[in-house]
Amino acid sequence: MAVAPTTTPIVAGPAAAPRRAPTAGKGTTWRGHLLRLPFYLLSLTMIAPFYWMLITVFKPVTEIDEQPPSFVPEHPTLNNFYDPGYSSTQVNPGHLQGIFQRFQVDFGFGRFMFNSLVITVVITIGSLLIASLAAYVITKHRVPGRRLIFLLIVASMMVPWQTTLVPNYVIMRNLGWLDTYQGYIIPALAKAFVLFFLVQFLHSIPDELIQAARVDGAGEWRIWWQVVLPLLRPALAAMSIFIVLAEWNNFLWPLIIVQSDEMANIPVALARLNSYFTGAQNQGAIMAGGLLASLPSIAFFLAFQRYFTRGIVLSGLKG
Amino acid sequence: MATHAAAPRQRWRRYGTSYLMLLPFLGLFAGFLVWPLANSLYLSFTKFDGVNAPRFEGLENFRRLLFDDDRFRHALGNTFIYVVASVGIGTLLSLGLALAFNGSSWPHRIMRTIFFLPSVTSSIALMLLWKWIFNPGDFGLANTVIAWFGGRAVEWLATPGLTVPILVLMSVWGGMGYGMVLYVAGLNTIPQEYYEAARIDGAGTWQRFRRVTLPLLRPVTTYVVVTGLIGAFQVFEAVYIVFRGTNNIGGVLDSGLMIVPYLYDQGFTHFKLGYASAVAWVLFLIIFALSMVNLRIGRALKEL
Repeated sequence: MAVAPTTTPIVAGPAAAPRRAPTAGKGTTWRGHLLRLPFYLLSLTMIAPFYWMLITVFKPVTEIDEQPPSFVPEHPTLNNFYDPGYSSTQVNPGHLQGIFQRFQVDFGFGRFMFNSLVITVVITIGSLLIASLAAYVITKHRVPGRRLIFLLIVASMMVPWQTTLVPNYVIMRNLGWLDTYQGYIIPALAKAFVLFFLVQFLHSIPDELIQAARVDGAGEWRIWWQVVLPLLRPALAAMSIFIVLAEWNNFLWPLIIVQSDEMANIPVALARLNSYFTGAQNQGAIMAGGLLASLPSIAFFLAFQRYFTRGIVLSGLKG
Repeated sequence: MATHAAAPRQRWRRYGTSYLMLLPFLGLFAGFLVWPLANSLYLSFTKFDGVNAPRFEGLENFRRLLFDDDRFRHALGNTFIYVVASVGIGTLLSLGLALAFNGSSWPHRIMRTIFFLPSVTSSIALMLLWKWIFNPGDFGLANTVIAWFGGRAVEWLATPGLTVPILVLMSVWGGMGYGMVLYVAGLNTIPQEYYEAARIDGAGTWQRFRRVTLPLLRPVTTYVVVTGLIGAFQVFEAVYIVFRGTNNIGGVLDSGLMIVPYLYDQGFTHFKLGYASAVAWVLFLIIFALSMVNLRIGRALKEL
């Protein structure tokens, strides 16, 4: 489950490098291993479902509901992605639509991956830009009312966003934004937790850096672009991981505003697959879809894990 | 920023830019959060089907919710059981995992990555996977494991008594790695000297854990528990994907009905948008109260 931060975001990852003396781990005694035994067993229950998903993806339709099930696909196949033996006009036993053949939209499942990608990228960049602008003003400008504004934004982090679901749906409908990219993107841009995080980070940056740029004659917009944004880079990196994972996996809001198949993101497409096709034999294609949904976010996380790690040092558990 | 005497016009110009820079965030914040929030409060006092204009009904929605609506009461009770069980078990396991695997060696790092994996996997994909694992057929993974131990196939998702336990299982499985990572970070802020001092004073392993580790981890525990509670109250996808039936969003006998699924059901299946807003405000009040607790505890700890 991708975790969207509800209050203070604490960014962390499994690689969080301990600052403690490396007592545990290296040279763990047999007693240490014995004590950890329940957790080693628990880790098997973590891997087993993923393994089950993976082997289902590569099983041919006829093998999926075999009893007892095979734990290594006997006849591994890519048919669950695209089955050349499937025909919509003629029954061909042992062949069903692969995930890319399941929707009557151009590029099939690729269309949903494209939608998810566009939405995720635009929201991530857009929300970081507008939050960094606001955070810069709140921390470095003596604007009247800035405390009140910040307080309001911090208070809003205590609001479960589902409370705004109904009115936002009505707004989208009245604007004609149901089933559009702007319906996905615009309401998702102002993220309070991002602003909060960036404000905390900017507080730790000395005013002199900005003052110096000002003395050099730089305007506020240029200071933001050329001084503040580069200084914020580690914080932006940490936040972008959160936003990317949350938006890539976003479900409830898309479920409400998306009507056509064309505009579905991956989670909505998968949910529709889940209600259209129920039989066990369809599970190969459904799991293939799940794999296509998960691999990018897992890969993204593994690639940028160290920013998670840095994030925890930035925000600090002191909150 | 320096407060040297700037000409009023110049100062106004500077503030003008400031407000302009605040505008994108504040505009969107006001338009899609503040206004909808106020609007949803208003709608919660109305009867509104999304087509005709909302009709003001005072507290009628809340009266019905709290006194007349068995499904809502069921959803509320269900959610509380689910929340307490999943956060309780999840937090204990998170702490255990963090104590077991907080080192920097590769076996520890691999274990942490394994437990953290669900947190970065598509949640819908995971829910579809669980649904497939709990397939009622003999070939389902859960039933296969049961068969190894000589058991008979179980109708996992069609047995009302199993619904909440399965939801808790999925939640704990998916969430304990996240709590673990927070605990690991917390553990690494504890100076090694404290343990050495305790050792010199003759404290055993358990004593060191009770007297050093646990108290120093208290802010992390508060954070893990409160954010866990807040997240658990908002459970939706697990119910919607794994249990939803053709008539009941909560699955067989509504056994998996929770607050947000009920909100979705009332608002976007039956288009009782006023009533759904009232449900949303009950959720708001619960979460707001929890956040205040979080805030208060956080502040109290800071003052220590």
